[in-house]
Amino acid sequence: MIPTHWFLILSAILFTLGVCGVLTRKNGITIFMCIELMVNAVNLTFVAYARQYHQIHGLLFVFFVMAIAAAEAAVGLAIFISLFHHRHTIDVDEANLMRW
Amino acid sequence: MITFAIFFFFAAVAVIFAAVVVLHRNPVVGALSLVASFFALAVMYVLLEAPFLAALQVIVYAGAIMVLFLFVIMLLNLQHQEEPRTRPVQQFLGYTSSAAFGLALIYYLAKFGVTKLPDGPFVSDARTVGIRMFEAYIFPFEMVSILLLAAIVGALILSGRTGAIPPPTGENKL
Repeated sequence: MIPTHWFLILSAILFTLGVCGVLTRKNGITIFMCIELMVNAVNLTFVAYARQYHQIHGLLFVFFVMAIAAAEAAVGLAIFISLFHHRHTIDVDEANLMRW
Repeated sequence: MITFAIFFFFAAVAVIFAAVVVLHRNPVVGALSLVASFFALAVMYVLLEAPFLAALQVIVYAGAIMVLFLFVIMLLNLQHQEEPRTRPVQQFLGYTSSAAFGLALIYYLAKFGVTKLPDGPFVSDARTVGIRMFEAYIFPFEMVSILLLAAIVGALILSGRTGAIPPPTGENKL
């Protein structure tokens, strides 16, 4: 049996990579993929703790997180298509209408 | 032990392909690497005795969501465009702050993490998950269905061409 905190450390590494991508990239779709990476790291944490405490609620939360990630991907990619139609770029630095 | 070997191999695969997503400048390579990383995470779910979630991970994430990403990348014709460089100060701040965050997270997980596993097998097949889902979580389940309907309507409205689109000015820069 693999100890739980190894899975937690793997999840922490994946989450940190996602944070790094969101902070340093400019391509909107790549930023979105990094957000998906962070969501998956949190899912791994849920499943690891579900096995640790023998509670099945963690698995059900992963189910809901997957559904919400699907909805988020659909709406977010639609926003990027709309942005591309208006500005002909998906560089997030170009979408600066509301920048202070 | 074979389980540990499988864990370390697929953990390395997941981390390396996630790093490719973060570092590579081409979004198509990033999307395909993310699919590989999701497959490695599905193996992690199998190691955590949750085979139903592993199947869901492959079907929903690697199947549906990443195909959506690839479709949008191809639709916007982004596969040949290179991303401009990020400003050095933003790169420096992003890398240092995320490295500090990750080190703090791993330090506290290694210090306060629980190490003793409980006895007995953890039953989490599709039947058990389904029974618990429709017993205790029926209301959130219906809420998720309404949320997905709203997401479909929102995506259709947002991505439809409404009004006059001005002609492209200059070249397609990313």
